Amino acid sequence: MTTQNGHVIVIQFPGVNCEYETVRALESVGLRARIARWNARPEVLRDAAAIVLPGGFSYQDRIRAGVVAAKDQIMDSVLEAASRGVPVMGICNGAQILVEAGAVPGYQTGAIDLALAPNDMPDRSGYYCTWVRLKKGPASCIFTAFFDGMQDDAGTIPIPLAHAEGRFVTASHMVSEKLGSNEGVALLYATTDGRTAESFPDNPNGSVFGIAGVTNPGGNVLALMPHPERATWLHQVPRRVGGRWAKTRESARAESLFTPGPGRGFFESLRKGLAQ
Amino acid sequence: MDEIRTQDIVNLEDTDADELKRFLAEQNISLKPNELVRIRELFGRDPTHVELHIFNIMWSEHCSYKSSRAVLKKYLPTTGPNVVLGPGEDAGVVRFCTWNGKDYCLVMAHESHNHPSQVLPVEGAATGIGGIVRDVYCMGADVIGVMDPLRFGDPEGRHTKRVRDIVRGVVDGIAQYGNALGVPNYGGDTYFDASYDDNCLVNVVALGIVAEEDVIRSRAPDAARSERYDIILVGKPTDASGFGGAAFASERLSGDEEKERQEAVQVPDPFLKRVLTEATKVVLAEAKTRGVSIGFKDLGAGGISCAVSEMAHAGGVGAELDLDCVVKSPDTLPPEIIACSETQERYALFVPSDFTPVVLKTYNDDFELPHIYSGAGAYVIGRVTRDMRFRLRHRSHLVCDAHVDVITTGIEYERESRARQPNLGASEKTPPVKPTVRKALLELLSSVNIADKSILFQHYDSEVQGRAVLRPGEADAAVAVFLPGHPVGIAAGIGGSSQVAAVDPYLGGLWAVCEAVRNVACVGGRVLAVTDCLNYGDPEQPEVFWEFSEGVRGIGDACRGLEISKSGKHGIPVISGNVSFYNQSEKGQPIAPTPIVAAAGRVDDVSICQNLGFKKPGSKLVLLGEFHDSMGGSEYARLFLGGVAQRPPVPDLKRESSIIRTLVAGLESRVILAAHDISHGGMLVTLAEMMLGSKPFGTGCTIDLKNTPMGEASRERALFTEFGGIVVEIDAKGWADFQTTLDQNNTPWHALGETTGDCSLSVRWNGGELDVSVEDLDTAYRSAGELNRLFA
Repeated sequence: MTTQNGHVIVIQFPGVNCEYETVRALESVGLRARIARWNARPEVLRDAAAIVLPGGFSYQDRIRAGVVAAKDQIMDSVLEAASRGVPVMGICNGAQILVEAGAVPGYQTGAIDLALAPNDMPDRSGYYCTWVRLKKGPASCIFTAFFDGMQDDAGTIPIPLAHAEGRFVTASHMVSEKLGSNEGVALLYATTDGRTAESFPDNPNGSVFGIAGVTNPGGNVLALMPHPERATWLHQVPRRVGGRWAKTRESARAESLFTPGPGRGFFESLRKGLAQ
Repeated sequence: MDEIRTQDIVNLEDTDADELKRFLAEQNISLKPNELVRIRELFGRDPTHVELHIFNIMWSEHCSYKSSRAVLKKYLPTTGPNVVLGPGEDAGVVRFCTWNGKDYCLVMAHESHNHPSQVLPVEGAATGIGGIVRDVYCMGADVIGVMDPLRFGDPEGRHTKRVRDIVRGVVDGIAQYGNALGVPNYGGDTYFDASYDDNCLVNVVALGIVAEEDVIRSRAPDAARSERYDIILVGKPTDASGFGGAAFASERLSGDEEKERQEAVQVPDPFLKRVLTEATKVVLAEAKTRGVSIGFKDLGAGGISCAVSEMAHAGGVGAELDLDCVVKSPDTLPPEIIACSETQERYALFVPSDFTPVVLKTYNDDFELPHIYSGAGAYVIGRVTRDMRFRLRHRSHLVCDAHVDVITTGIEYERESRARQPNLGASEKTPPVKPTVRKALLELLSSVNIADKSILFQHYDSEVQGRAVLRPGEADAAVAVFLPGHPVGIAAGIGGSSQVAAVDPYLGGLWAVCEAVRNVACVGGRVLAVTDCLNYGDPEQPEVFWEFSEGVRGIGDACRGLEISKSGKHGIPVISGNVSFYNQSEKGQPIAPTPIVAAAGRVDDVSICQNLGFKKPGSKLVLLGEFHDSMGGSEYARLFLGGVAQRPPVPDLKRESSIIRTLVAGLESRVILAAHDISHGGMLVTLAEMMLGSKPFGTGCTIDLKNTPMGEASRERALFTEFGGIVVEIDAKGWADFQTTLDQNNTPWHALGETTGDCSLSVRWNGGELDVSVEDLDTAYRSAGELNRLFA
């Protein structure tokens, strides 16, 4: 079904803390997944079907989030795999690492064109944990195919996020223009009626253009701030998100608690993409 | 060589009293003269500096429970058919569920970090989380959640700025530690009262999971009596931080000293803890695979000395440590600090010598501790001996040499207890302008003790680990999936009202248990165990000690009296806990007595767990429980009547048990669609919160109290009394049958009204009525909520 060698590798940098639920989320769609430590030999990535950089606080967020891990030796192998077209997803801190490593948006090879700045929120600051709505952006990538044709909730899904630095920003006019013309914009924060979220709380961190996730030109790398692995099972959905998912959760029974939640699509899309 | 040098000895006998006092003060040693005499007797000689410091910590109130032990023993039930380990270990363990043929246990620990959080809020609160999770990890468990019951001063009171700084600092510290460690925070509760102006309360609860066969004991294994065992210290390099912390927690805080005592607060490092936890998992799994018995304990109060001597004592062996092998920062630390400092993020392991290389390799090479954190690592610091002596060497000199029985000898006091006359029957102050019911409701909703607390909870990661079912603020208790893939959930709730305890300390204890159990029941959980944290003033004051004893008696009576298990036969065991004394104002006024109880229950199928909001129009609204006409301890009294010292209602435990059993059964059969207890603010606030909780679907209610006992009382009493009942939404289809169940079980109930499709709260009582829109309620509760201002 999937590629011959088959394992999705979840990289455990020191300080990450979402590796186990990320493995479970990958396994929930039938993928085989394995955790590899940051100091594992580069060979472990050679046959990886896909790579996931999970959330957490790699290297204590020293200097700034993601920057130390981005310079870790294992990232050379990750970037090399990405250049071969291997799917790579960075979730939250993983997204911060991919941005700091220049893996997205990839307008210019090797350039670090984006940054994830501290959240910009009215009358508060720092870490923010909540549920938001997400919709597909104009740029396609292997992880977001499930959005295509989605009718419910105006094409949006509810999803949790939790971070202090999640605001996509750039200082470059060129990058800003490209983002503005939708290059690489894979995911957007959305309102319940499906519009792009412009302000708090729908846009939870002040991200430029409401961007929640960025892909590369090849569409095989995704850096996303929300946590799909925390919305992979129905029991995880809170009622306050409203819409279809709250209703489905409300009528759940024991046997449906572990049926797909709204975030499962990211992993399901990966499985389908790998099977092709 | 193997003799203690005279210069290391503290000459207790020949030093004159004043000089000795000066010396002890200089060294921050708070041992009393009678305790010094006792130490001398135990040793048969004068102690060394190091030995004196060890006893200073071991005999602190925090470690020795010297004032409280007899009372705890007298009143608290600690056993039960499911209890695997009760109080005495770092954490309590209770059997929880079986899955795939394996028995899984819930591990629970509960502590206070009050004084450190008052002095350095960020670090104090963070190390509170750091310490409590270690207590659970060291049982071999995974930590699946933390909660924090918090009590702060009056943000509009005498110390506005300091109180606000402490609130923000504490929340920041909790967030920084738990978020980075990857342990979800499931809330807890937060209240404000002027009695905590100079002494905030930061209690921390940690919940863990472990297979029963994998429980690790904090003791030298039996094999250590016949085989060669090494003693390994792993984690952060030992420094002077937190030196004397346990003793500090057992003293009164005074304004001048706060600055000086900052050094007694530990320094948190969740990053290192995360990596340590990952590496330890590998070590424990490897030991299990190879069938190697090891001992494992976290270093908390008293550092190396306490952890190692207690492990040795429990296993019937001795220990010999070379303090020169401890990695230190700076390297010049004196021996008493190396031996006793409370540097965070450290564990001690007792492992067979041939397993030592595996342990060192895992921590130092595979997880690269020395590389990713300066000075961190795992190092052999000594060995297990068979002569039962606890010996410490520093620069080749013996600086501590005593039988482990001597080192771990306890101390106990019989404190004087004197009842304080409760100020009952004090007349209510008539408010200058009696608020209308509408105004009272909106002011209560926006008051700091009731308003929406999501601004606080949103600082915490409650989603990590992916277990969440009900998050902080969504219902009266939090719920998480216990084992991913399995429908069983753990429901955890908190109880503890100092407003009740201030009027009657016995009722304070009783209520704390009832409230916590009720909160868990409101999400469909049956409580399996509770923990307590007992926060009081100076136990040397007879009135304070009486308050403490009464609180414990109340907790014990409630735990024995509540029969809520399916069989209805057993009470509830108290499996772990903590006593925190010397909480008082700068002027020596004790805090309001504050017994806090955490209850953990089991939900067989978490699909029944819904938030507290109304679910749909046309349902029946019913009050479970009896109305009590008393304003004692209520928020309404605090806000509008200048406080009323009226005796709060005394819960009838038989009735309470029946209500709880009926409630859980109703939720399980899905005839009850929503449940919320009547606590802070009274029934009207409860209804408003249920209405607000129905967002974004929007369900209102219409209530008619004319034919209920509430319709007879004066209106404030009826609407704002905090009598502890539960409001439930009942599916109209199942109402007739459920009514029969209620009557069969003798569960007291009153029909209140029904839910409606329009978004307003309509209430009618004898002589008045009220209509409030959801927008007005929402503005009061959320945007105008006073908590928001604390964080702006």
